[in-house]
Amino acid sequence: MRKTKFITGGAVIAAALAYMIYAGVTQSAVYFVTPAELRASAVAGKAYRLGGMVLPGSVTWEPRTLALHFTLGDGTATVPVRHKGTPPDLFGEGRGAVVEGTWSADGYFRASLILAKHSEEYKAPHDASQAGYKELIRTLQGDGR
Amino acid sequence: MIPELGYGAAIVALVLALWGAVTAALGARTGRPALLLSAQHAALAVFVLVTACFALLTYAFLTFDFSVRYVATNTNLGTPFYYRITGVWGALEGSIILWTWMLGLYTLIVILRHREGARELYPWVLTVMLGVLAFFLLVITVAAPPFARQAPVPADGRGLNPLLEDTGMITHPVALYLGFTGLTVPFAFAMAALITGRVGDAWITLTRRWTIIAWYFLSLGLLIGGWWSYHVLGWGGYWAWDPVENAAFMPWLTATAFLHSVMIQERRRMLKLWNISLVILTFSLTLFGTFLTRSGVIASVHAFTQGTIGAFFLSFLALVLLTALGLLAVRWDALHAQGELDSIVSRESAFLLNNVLFVAATFTVFFGTVFPLLSEAARGVKVSVGAPFFNQVNVPLFLALIFLMGVGPLIAWRRASFDNLRRNFLWPVLVGVAAAAFFFSLGVRSAIAVLVLALTVFVASTITVDFARASRARVRLGEPLLPAMGGLLRRHNRRYGGFGVHLGILIIAVGVTGSQAWSVQTETTLRRGEYAELAGYRVRFEDLTASEESNHFKVAGAFTVSNGRGLGVLRPAKKFYPQETSPIAYVDYRLGLREDIYLVLGDFARDGSQATVKFQVNRLVSWIWIGGLVLTAGAVLAILPEKKKAA
Amino acid sequence: MSRRAWRWLIPLSALPVLALLAYGFRVNPREIPSPLVGRPAPGFALTTFDGAPLTLEAQRGKVVVVNFWASWCYPACYEEAPVLERSWRAYRDRGVVVVGVDIQDKAEAAQKFIRDFGLSFPNAPDPTGKVSVDFGTYGVPETFFIDRRGRIRAKHVGALTDEVLRTRVEPLLGEPAG
Repeated sequence: MRKTKFITGGAVIAAALAYMIYAGVTQSAVYFVTPAELRASAVAGKAYRLGGMVLPGSVTWEPRTLALHFTLGDGTATVPVRHKGTPPDLFGEGRGAVVEGTWSADGYFRASLILAKHSEEYKAPHDASQAGYKELIRTLQGDGR
Repeated sequence: MIPELGYGAAIVALVLALWGAVTAALGARTGRPALLLSAQHAALAVFVLVTACFALLTYAFLTFDFSVRYVATNTNLGTPFYYRITGVWGALEGSIILWTWMLGLYTLIVILRHREGARELYPWVLTVMLGVLAFFLLVITVAAPPFARQAPVPADGRGLNPLLEDTGMITHPVALYLGFTGLTVPFAFAMAALITGRVGDAWITLTRRWTIIAWYFLSLGLLIGGWWSYHVLGWGGYWAWDPVENAAFMPWLTATAFLHSVMIQERRRMLKLWNISLVILTFSLTLFGTFLTRSGVIASVHAFTQGTIGAFFLSFLALVLLTALGLLAVRWDALHAQGELDSIVSRESAFLLNNVLFVAATFTVFFGTVFPLLSEAARGVKVSVGAPFFNQVNVPLFLALIFLMGVGPLIAWRRASFDNLRRNFLWPVLVGVAAAAFFFSLGVRSAIAVLVLALTVFVASTITVDFARASRARVRLGEPLLPAMGGLLRRHNRRYGGFGVHLGILIIAVGVTGSQAWSVQTETTLRRGEYAELAGYRVRFEDLTASEESNHFKVAGAFTVSNGRGLGVLRPAKKFYPQETSPIAYVDYRLGLREDIYLVLGDFARDGSQATVKFQVNRLVSWIWIGGLVLTAGAVLAILPEKKKAA
Repeated sequence: MSRRAWRWLIPLSALPVLALLAYGFRVNPREIPSPLVGRPAPGFALTTFDGAPLTLEAQRGKVVVVNFWASWCYPACYEEAPVLERSWRAYRDRGVVVVGVDIQDKAEAAQKFIRDFGLSFPNAPDPTGKVSVDFGTYGVPETFFIDRRGRIRAKHVGALTDEVLRTRVEPLLGEPAG
């Protein structure tokens, strides 16, 4: 009967789709963890998304090698993170950050991606005279040559 | 004063919209034309009032009226004039006003076009349109009032999000919303069909052009969004499977499916249930998309703020889904009676498979988007799936769809004979296989890339075969070639417009494939005079300059680009806005047919002695935008009015 | 079930999806942890805009809500100022003290802000910025909830709501001061 043919066809497609989705999910699932959770149960090679606060004073950036090292903390535990590449614009000490990557057997988190965290309600300490920016312009235009 | 006027206009509009919806429904039930007329007048009044709201809000923006909270949040004294106008729809409250205004406009056009024609359906269509308008007006007056006052009045506003100070960001919401709101019209017609029980073909024929127009704007909005992402956000990509992007993509997928399945209903009177379900699903997905963007349910890099508005949208979505599906259940018998598919090898079958694949893709995107919610609800673990999931599952589906693009238009209805298959497909298949071998011999090793290119050639060949054969027939009848071709395009504009759209999609597919498979990038820190090399290009850092603009400070790096011969200077920059916590990247690029050169300024030394730059050579990305233009031409051709054959 | 009844499964099938979305509503993906939580709050000694001394030491034994704000911080500080004032009036007799620290601001603008919102809780400027640095504030507004023993128990970034204040303060009220 024609109808059964189409129902079986539909079932086959549905099964194939379900399988593809299952495979896709298990291969690209990324687990959200906090530093405490990561410390408790880190599995080397597993993909994580680690969220925490960038501890003030922990950021080192070497422009020539593009090595960015910092520590993420959540008040309970800390995790050292290494990343190759310029920090994104929204990254900074004392701010929240979410990094995606894997846990390295050598005891640090290798971040392949640093995700921006944009907060609409937040405002940075305001330099009312904007002296900082004017100074930056002066140094770039003035003696830099 | 002005804000109070605006708020009052919104309230009156809400009342009128409700009044109009009720009288239109009553007019439908009782058949009294006076009621219908009253509803039409109400709709006109609603449009005028919403236009007034829009105008008043714009006026508040232009005059720096910081006593209005929305104005203070989205401009400051330094915002340039142009962006003070476009910033009106740059955030939540204003975007809802834009949406509502477009809904009102569409309602008016529906009235003008259909009040004479669709006697039975029209009153209910009006009811539904006014009902949806009433909901959005409710959101404006209660959940997200754009005219809310701020006391005490701040001396200066916060300012527009600098990422929005861009032409792409101006046109992207407009196009996208024209698409979303446009999809309300087929939905309204489908509801009218269900309510009146006239679930035959009338509602399909009447909404055909609407669907194409709404679909086109949605496509345009998505493409512009990709363009904006590419040239503003500085990551070198145009699509990230972000929840907000997915929210706009899902209705596009189902709308595309619907565009195709209506042809089956028109020709063979089949799939009535399927079509109505698709329309309901599409409209629900547009509401879902709005809910997703505005409720903060899924953490997204660019979600609007949350609040009670999420609850509003979820409630309305529930109301729409349950009512529409309930009506569907009521009319089940009338819908269920449909013709049977004669054979798997037929045009009906190809279109049905096309639909199944689109729905499968929609499900995949939906599943991936809500997966974090699911996993948290089920296991208490926060898990997300990123781009690899979506690409992995969707790519095979899209490949199959491209293949069907070539098969569908040419294969015979009901049952394709072997002869028919041979005549239409032998040559394109051979050319496709030859193309695969050719690209492989050129060094293309990615299986997906070879497939995409070969399938593109296959589909292009089928279009050529069809067009050539039809032109030849005309020429044989005595017509010269060019007029024959032109006449064909005009006479069968639906078909060839569709081909044009398909060609556009093919070009986009090639662009996407090329950029994914063959783009390269590098990141290095350069001292003055040092250079980096990539893919035959050399980029040399010259120096840094700084300047003060009207509402920001800008630090730009000058980089000379050459590939044997000089290609000029690119100046990627960082813009520092006082109200923002961090600088905004300003990308500089050189577009090309084959590849784009793309520079992003990273860190830099305060004395200007060195700069870190991310340097990308993105291949074939321009094809995506070109494909969009071809798609536009195809869509325009498709919606031209039918030309009656001259005697 | 008769064939006619099966059809009603269609509208019902929408319910699980809607339920999932409603669930998603409750899940809040916006927590930012602070390393200071659980540690003793840094002491401060400031002078309010009225000239009175204001030290953290003097508040020991009470629940202290320290709010960092500025008059140029729009819209968040404007949104939460009434909330803070309301809470102050509601909780002051129950052993809660609300303290406002104004950072990087001009005195007249700050005082206008206090006047406009009718703030009656103590507000002091932080002229050297030392207090905001000690507390590790990055921007405004930020609010710290300090228990009766002087430890920071919670930090809230962004505008406060009545809801948030209540959920943060009530538990701390129940704790002993010893």
